[in-house]
Order: sequence, then structure tokens, then C-alpha cells
Amino acid sequence: MIILQSLFKSFATKQVLRGVDLQIKKGEIVGFLGVNGAGKTTTMRHILGLLRPTEGTVTVDNLDPIAQRMQVVEKIGYLPENNPLPLEMKPQEYLEFIADVKKVDRSVLPQLIQDVAITDVLQKPIEQLSRGYKQRVGLAAALIGEPEILILDEPTSGLDPIEQDRIKDLIKRISKEKLVIFSTHILSEVQDIASRVVIIHDGTIRYDGPKPKGTVDKLFKDIITGKQTEKPAKPTKSKPAKKTVTKPKKTTKK
Amino acid sequence: MFALYKKELQFYLNNPIGYIILGLFGVFANFLFVKDVFVVGSASMKAFFDILPWLTMIVVPALAMRSFAEEKRTNTLEVLLSLPISETQIVLAKFLAYLTLFALGLALTFVLPVSLYILSGQVGARISLIEVFIGYLGELMLASLAIALSMLFSVKTSNQVVALLSSILVLFFLIVLSTDFVAGFLPLMIQQVLSYLSPITQLESFIKGLLDLRSVYYFISFTAVCLFLTIIDLERRK
Repeated sequence: MIILQSLFKSFATKQVLRGVDLQIKKGEIVGFLGVNGAGKTTTMRHILGLLRPTEGTVTVDNLDPIAQRMQVVEKIGYLPENNPLPLEMKPQEYLEFIADVKKVDRSVLPQLIQDVAITDVLQKPIEQLSRGYKQRVGLAAALIGEPEILILDEPTSGLDPIEQDRIKDLIKRISKEKLVIFSTHILSEVQDIASRVVIIHDGTIRYDGPKPKGTVDKLFKDIITGKQTEKPAKPTKSKPAKKTVTKPKKTTKK
Repeated sequence: MFALYKKELQFYLNNPIGYIILGLFGVFANFLFVKDVFVVGSASMKAFFDILPWLTMIVVPALAMRSFAEEKRTNTLEVLLSLPISETQIVLAKFLAYLTLFALGLALTFVLPVSLYILSGQVGARISLIEVFIGYLGELMLASLAIALSMLFSVKTSNQVVALLSSILVLFFLIVLSTDFVAGFLPLMIQQVLSYLSPITQLESFIKGLLDLRSVYYFISFTAVCLFLTIIDLERRK
């Protein structure tokens, strides 16, 4: 279980997270929605122990991601934003490297390679692969060792619609019995994959609950534009002074 | 840790850059020695070991500049830190990979002591191979120091050129601390302290074929401090 309690994060003078409270259990597929700069990646990096909270706590199965990084990352498969890969390597070499670092037997690779459908490009340098193939290589790397938790930061960003569908299908297939958090600003993805929707805006959670009855699209736009100040499913314990309140739109009398 | 060591090593061995850097090192080291050896007329490797620090000053930063700077620029460091490998293992794996590469470059110069051994034998003044071995050991220790220092500069920036130039600059200052040029305008006591801090002063005993434990301690502790600071930088979370 991942627990984020009153998480605040500031970079110099910029406050990025303003009291994020979140609990995610095994078996949940969380669609993490927000516009660029809303705080999605920062939140995810805290779960991996890549960032230290300014205030608040993060635990992953009761482990501290900073103090117990090694134990925490063993549980997590991570696909970072923009999927950074060593371009000079071939997918085969890269996946073998990741398997070795994770101390996973290389015999699991053929099945994984088949699952993500990269057999054709295994011996090509990664820099020569299309964006879709690169994304699949990144996903395969995240899946090595069958991690209990998957954190996917904008897994379909920059892909064409056909490749987006492929990645979505892949996420649906692999996410059974796992805790999956995937961030996106593509609303239809959340509709298709997620079992729970979390909307973050200006560093605060504005919605946390099941998929809405209408479209996620409408809910998201209403929250971002301030038409709807949807309360989170579980009230946050953020400091009132730092909490952002969504202002209703001004109406002008005619 | 071995997986990362292998990956770092393979980057240079599967890439022309590695061969170019090591090849240039081999060519320059051999040429600079051979061009004078018959003029000097003495069967000694001293001149060769005197040249090497200047080449090391350029070759090592060229090898190690990408160690962290490139990983930061391309964000692959984030992937590495999301894997079950500790910061200490990351730093040591990279350090050992660069040391192995430098040792390969150094091996390109083995033809010199072998030739000199044969030639000096013909005139009845055979060079001591133990002396040569200790000289090479000293050069490896100097390279360890230079690698650790270059990695420290690399972890501080995401720009390889900045890492390269700052490493060369600091190594240059460390080398010139022991020269007469510095000695000329500094009080004797300061000059002695600075001279002790120079790796060239510490290398002198190795070049003479003496294994001075104080010099061994100097190189190991300088290298360890730089590696430790690199690990601390990597462990520090923003």
C-alpha cells in the first residue's frame, strides 16, 4: 500500500505540492490526471524516493522510500516521463542489463519480449527505434521481476493513436493484481484503463474517487476551469494557509 | 554492480570514441618517449613515466566526463536510481570501468619496456623490470585519483564539456604544484605543503622503483575522498 500524508514539496521559492494526501491499495489502477506542471511527476518521484518531501510523509508498504530505497525500488517498476533509454544499446542488451541489476534470471526475458511485441527490433540500436517501440522497451524494462507496483509516467505521451491503443491494451493486460499508477493528460486513457481517478491541480488533489458517471473529460475540465470544486473522496489534512482554493468563475451582470 | 561495470565498459568498447581516446593515448605516449630515448642514451623508463601524468591529465577526464553528466542530461540517472542498486555500487562500478579502460590504454605502451629490456641487455645494462612494474603501478594510482576527481566534477553538472574542462584545470593545478615555477614565488613552508599535495611529488618514489607506503596512502585516500563526495552528491535528494 502507498500512503502519502500531507505531502508538501517546494523547489526554491516554487511550491509544487501543497498537502497531497493519498492512499492506494493493491489491485487499484489509478489514473493520475493533471495539466502539465500540476504535480503528477513530483508526486510519483516521491514514491520512488527520488525526491525528499519538504513536509509530510511517504510510505510504500510501511517502508520509507528515502531511508529504505533499495527495499522500496525492488517492489516498483518505473517508466519515467519521456522514457529515457541508453540510445547506444540494443533492446536485448538493455533488458539483460536491467534483469542483471534486478537480479532476475534472464530466462524470463523471452516471454516478456513476446508480451510487449519487440521481437523484431531486439538487435537494432534503441536510437533507431520508433517512439512506440522505445516505449515498449521502457515498459518491458519496468516489468522485469514482476514488480507489485507499477508507476508509469505518461506512458502514451507523444505516440500516434494506434500505438496509444497498443500501450493501453498492454497496460490493461499487465496490471492484473498489481498496484498501478499512471499519469496522463489524455482523458480517454483514464476512462479506458483506470479503476480510480485522481485529479491533481496546482499541487492539491481536487478529485479522488471512482470514475465519474459522465465522462472524465467533463469532470476534469470543470475542475481545471474552476466550474466544479469537487472535494476529494478523503479530505486532505493540508495546512489551511497553504491550501489552494479554486475560485469560481466571475459572472458579469448584463 | 558487475552489470553496470560491464555496461560502462561496453559503451567504450562498442564505440569508436573509446578506441580513439585510448589509441591517441597509446600513440602519444609511445611517440613522446621514443623520439628522445636514443638522444638521452640511457636505458631507463624515467622519461616515459615523467610524460604520462600530462597525458593522464587529458585522457582520464575525456573518459570519465560522461560518467554522470550524460546520465543527468538524458535523465537515465533517474532510471538507474529507480533500480535496486545502491549509490555506492553505481559509483564503484563506473570507477572500476574507467580504471580498466585506462589500464588497457597503458597496456598499449608495454612494447616500450619490452624493447628497452631487450636492447639494454645487448649492451650489458639491462633495465629492472620490477622498477618498471612499480612505475606502472604508480601511474595506475595517479589515474585512480584523476578518475575519482573527474567523476566528482561530472556528478556536479549535466554538461560533459564543463566536467571535462574543470577536471583538466584542477588536475593541471595539482600537477604544477610540484614544479619549480610555483616554488619560485612562494614561501618555503607553503611550497613544501603544496608540493606534498601534488600527485607528481608522490609519484616520484614510484618512478624510482620504490614502493613508498606514504605515497600509496596519499593516492588511496585522495581517491577515496573524491569517490565518497560523489556518492554523497548522488545520495542527496533535492
